[in-house]
Amino acid sequence: MIRASGHRDPVVAVTALALWLLLALFVVYPLGMLFARMVVDQGGFNTAAITKILTDRHQIRAFWNSLLLATLVGVLGTAVGFLFAFTAARGRLPRLLLGIVDASVLLPLVSPPFTTAIAIIFSFGPRGLITYELLGMKGVTVYGLTSTFVSEALTYFPIAYLTLRPILAAIDSNIEGMAFSLGASRWRVFRTVTLPLATPGLANAFLLLFAASLADFATPLILAGNQFPVLPTQAYLQITGLFDLRGGAVLSFVLLVPALIVFVLQRYWVSRRFYVTITGKGAGETPFNSISPATRNVLLAVCAAIALVIVYFYALLLYASLVMALGANHTFTLQHYRVIFTEGAKAIRDTLIVAAFAMPLGGLYGVLLGYLVTKKAFIGRRSMELVSMVNYALPGTIVGIAYLIAFNDPPIELTGTALIIIACYVFRYGPTGIRATVALLQQIDKSLEEASQGMGAGSATTFRRITLPLILPAFFAGLGVVFIRSMTAISATIFLVSIGWTLITVKILDNITELSLGPAAAFSVLVVVIVFVVIATIGRLLRLFRAPGNVPMTSLLGG
Amino acid sequence: MMGSNGFRQFVAGAARIGVLLGFALLGAVPARAADVVNAYSIWPENWARPMFDEFEKATGIKVNFVRFSSGEALARVIAEKGNPRVDVLFGGPIETFAAGISEGVFESYKPPAYASLPPRFKHADGQWIAIADDPLVFMTNDKFLKENNLKPPASWNDLLNPAYKNMLQMADARTSGTAVTRIFSVLEVNGRDETKAFDYMKKLRPNVQLYTKSGGGGTLPVGLGQAGGGIFFIVDALDTKAKGYDVTISFPAEGIGTAAEGIALIKGAKNPELAKKLIDWATSPAMQNQFAKYKINFVPANPAVSIEPSLAAVLKGAKIFAIDADYAGANRKRIVDRWVAEVLNP
Repeated sequence: MIRASGHRDPVVAVTALALWLLLALFVVYPLGMLFARMVVDQGGFNTAAITKILTDRHQIRAFWNSLLLATLVGVLGTAVGFLFAFTAARGRLPRLLLGIVDASVLLPLVSPPFTTAIAIIFSFGPRGLITYELLGMKGVTVYGLTSTFVSEALTYFPIAYLTLRPILAAIDSNIEGMAFSLGASRWRVFRTVTLPLATPGLANAFLLLFAASLADFATPLILAGNQFPVLPTQAYLQITGLFDLRGGAVLSFVLLVPALIVFVLQRYWVSRRFYVTITGKGAGETPFNSISPATRNVLLAVCAAIALVIVYFYALLLYASLVMALGANHTFTLQHYRVIFTEGAKAIRDTLIVAAFAMPLGGLYGVLLGYLVTKKAFIGRRSMELVSMVNYALPGTIVGIAYLIAFNDPPIELTGTALIIIACYVFRYGPTGIRATVALLQQIDKSLEEASQGMGAGSATTFRRITLPLILPAFFAGLGVVFIRSMTAISATIFLVSIGWTLITVKILDNITELSLGPAAAFSVLVVVIVFVVIATIGRLLRLFRAPGNVPMTSLLGG
Repeated sequence: MMGSNGFRQFVAGAARIGVLLGFALLGAVPARAADVVNAYSIWPENWARPMFDEFEKATGIKVNFVRFSSGEALARVIAEKGNPRVDVLFGGPIETFAAGISEGVFESYKPPAYASLPPRFKHADGQWIAIADDPLVFMTNDKFLKENNLKPPASWNDLLNPAYKNMLQMADARTSGTAVTRIFSVLEVNGRDETKAFDYMKKLRPNVQLYTKSGGGGTLPVGLGQAGGGIFFIVDALDTKAKGYDVTISFPAEGIGTAAEGIALIKGAKNPELAKKLIDWATSPAMQNQFAKYKINFVPANPAVSIEPSLAAVLKGAKIFAIDADYAGANRKRIVDRWVAEVLNP
């Protein structure tokens, strides 16, 4: 007999308590400290400064701009991510081609966000390789909404891909096959079966992209120009330009509102639907061909075109790392690599140590919390899920400043340690793993677990043999994202690096501002290489440990 | 109770991994050396590092530092006020230091060189002291000039030429001391007539492609030709030239402003004595004589140090004036607000 589990289970209670403590320490406490800093002025309660900044018409414009940008990025990024995921899951691609698609999709994720932005300026600016050298256009304006949103969509669509790929792969194509054999056209099958089944994934992808765009300050900093101010950049400028910590904090707290609204909407929308496609009733050996050959070719062509743009951007980066000075002196040199392995050696070492710790912790945190809030009943379940998303939804700048303020003074003194950076990564990027876990678990039918127990397996065996393998893709998605972010994030950690611990991304930003494009490009190339090596290694390991009968995992991150 | 045993095992495993990682992390924390002074450097690493290496050679004191832009460095110093992490704020425009004074983050200190410095190179109470001077220049892309049959701009009005439409980059006054120095330069050449000065800046606006966040942000675009020209500090402009980009440096006949770079002792510094030694050294000829050796194109602040000949050649004949600190200090916020409202977002 199976009851709703966890109600009085001490393990669940203890785990929930431990997670709450961690969330309190690393999410609630820093924000609370920041909030206090915001409203308390010279010992008294003061909201005049807050009112002033909230009624400023430029800030209001920036607020609407942010929402517009995030919506556009969410829609376009989810669409492109879905396109890639659908092609990968249903396109019957040969292994090699699948590998190439995977690799090109991962590229934007594994390099610092502003790499795409700078490549766009290089290619489409007034003297861009494409606009000026190739097309001979003059007086082109590259700064503004269009370039910002295309750059962000290109940077973040892999998140949608990573979210949607396992979900599409997990949709039993027999269900599609049944609809087809009942006389529905392929388009009708796609519209009435596949798409609705993918809805939780689409919603999750949109949420993740919306939040990522809402929080991104690096891309608008470089591309938005002066005509299209957005809030994260305004908050950053308020803090670092006008030294107005309170103003910056106010603007960031404003951002929290749309982020949470979208989250709640999505939860409500998704939870109304019930999706189970992984059932105990075995899948057939000959999968249904969901797409016609013509459609397949169109899909492949579109994916190839987008992949080509991405590969071109990164080829440009590689080239910049190998010439003396891009645009001025194109003599081949390895000097930039020598610089990063001597002067930059400490940053490389520190980054690797931090990433090595953040990755497993972030992966565990994501799966644990995701599993707990989906499968176990305990008090404050929903609010735990909500709180866990806060650091992800907030702009990195504000998380960084909040950590700096909260952990600089006793009782909890973490400034200057690696731990503060690791904690920031785990609680800021772990939520990707949480979302992936939740989305996957919502697809798994209880009958699978019940069947296992009905066949006489113990609950431990059931968890190990059934549930764990099913959420493994989510675990590895979380692992991958935390590792990648540990190697590439900048907005929060620029405030958390210290004399003892510095990071590659901070060096890259430094080099860009110092006009040393070569070392910046060399560092970026190194980051790309490291991430690919690590991801590939984990993929190998995963294949070794894979038990038979799991959800097919054609590649590590894709699920 | 479905899965609770398995879940228990999973949690136990997770906890074990967490603890193991925690211990490994403790082991990874590097040990601290004895005679070390900690600093935030606003100067880029390739200038700060040789200076600090020379300081260590001269005194045996090691400087542990991280580099930040002026805004980030000050934001951190303010956030860390209650428990300072560094002893010295090194480099960066006096602008930044002035903002820090109102936050109460510095400790007054007057090094031996204090008496010999002209008044504009020191704060009256020794809250900051200048270590270098940095004039503004016009920098233009050679290819752009040639294509448009332009001569290097020799007057502020030359920049109003429609040929520059949408092709200038310069710094944003909200974030950059470079921009503030530029705006006060425009005010000075217009006899502090704000109406005239703002008329000029509004007329210049259509030619500006982008107001960059950092003072040097536009140098690379100008070097690459993404922008035709801009107004920058001389160190950044000469650095662009040294990297191999074909750019020309010129000065307006009406004159252009200059801004000092400073150093300050952090209030509550953990190593105040060592920090003072660094300040003593940085404000003395001992450091400023090294600028030329490392091709750092700052004008020395200490009158006992002579300007390096090639830098002097660039500056020859240029009309450069200091921005009046009292006037700038009293009007900065108002002028920047007006610039944001009337020029940036009209």
